[in-house]
Amino acid sequence: MTRLDTAADAPAKLQAAPSEAHAVLEARLKEAIVEIAELRARDSLKTQFLANISHDLRTPLTAVITHAEILRDGILGDLSPQQMESVRGIISGGRQLLSQVGEILTYARGAANQLTLVPTRFAIRGVLEEVSSLNESLLKKKLISLSVESEPSLPPVMADREKVAHVVGNLLGNAIEFTPSGGHVWVRAARRQGDGPPAILVEVGDTGLGIAPEHHELIFREFAQVDSSASRAHHGTGLGLTIARKLVELHGGRIWLESELGTGSRFFFTVPIEQTP
Amino acid sequence: MSDREPAHALVIEDSAAVSGAMRILFESAGHRVSVAASVAEALSVGTNDPAELVLLDLTLPDGNGLSLVEPLRAAGCKTVVALTGHDDAETRAKCLAAGCADVFVKPVPARELVARSAKWLQSSANPPSV
Repeated sequence: MTRLDTAADAPAKLQAAPSEAHAVLEARLKEAIVEIAELRARDSLKTQFLANISHDLRTPLTAVITHAEILRDGILGDLSPQQMESVRGIISGGRQLLSQVGEILTYARGAANQLTLVPTRFAIRGVLEEVSSLNESLLKKKLISLSVESEPSLPPVMADREKVAHVVGNLLGNAIEFTPSGGHVWVRAARRQGDGPPAILVEVGDTGLGIAPEHHELIFREFAQVDSSASRAHHGTGLGLTIARKLVELHGGRIWLESELGTGSRFFFTVPIEQTP
Repeated sequence: MSDREPAHALVIEDSAAVSGAMRILFESAGHRVSVAASVAEALSVGTNDPAELVLLDLTLPDGNGLSLVEPLRAAGCKTVVALTGHDDAETRAKCLAAGCADVFVKPVPARELVARSAKWLQSSANPPSV
């Protein structure tokens, strides 16, 4: 609208111009809706591809690992110490790759909403001890001490045991990864205080590098890296916390952290005591 | 197993690299091993020469491996154990419901697989009186 000619035709012009602009906006909005739908469809195709490819990668990896274990176990004859070292390298590399492929698969299934829960009633303490013992050799290698504590007479939780163990495993793995040699990590379970449905609060803490408050939300997002040079120096897919959050939220729980640079980190998540509807 | 026929283990797996490893493992444990790479091949081997132990992959080129559990057991195969790439409780429940005696996520550690197979074969020789 450039100018008003007369007072008489002003209302008509005022109406015509906004409706023109409105039509343009409406058309653009329609286009955008179509574009978003297309992008979503492509994103879900990509997610499906990721799920398929990571599943397919397991077969050749199974062959590599099993053949190497046949050699390691002397089934085809004894190996020299150098051969043994080399074969152990194949197995450990293969197993590491397998676990990373598994993480990508879990992530892809989570993104495609294909993860389902199989809840059972179990004691959280058992999961904490189990996951801790899986990390024993790594802790020894890095000279990091670990304590596992739980409040006496905690009620059992109602959750998918494997997935809760996965969350604890990812948090503990991170704690060990980002804690320098000689440090301390801990895993604790207690009854959650305050309002809301009854739940157990699990804490995984460390005396490691710590995370600046402005990054507390960012680190849970997929593909986000607080410091790409730091993540390159550390191992893993970088999806561990994204997966942990997905698995906790599937249970209707919450995950968060308390940390500052240089003071270590404390990650918390809740596990329901009763099944969430 | 010196005074007995070696037990027959049927490996149903479409990856030759994986079935090759299974063959080495089970032959080294004193078993006779057959390999089938598809549902059709497994049905033919399993019905002509029923196995004491069947190691079953779930994803086969011509169908779902679980469809084999019933016909193989009906043909006289004793213990069917699923070896799957799917590491989840749902798959496990499906396998057990289909009649598998046990479910393992690949790759099962070589030592564990051999140790377990001895147990499976023993239980197939003396079926529990249920």
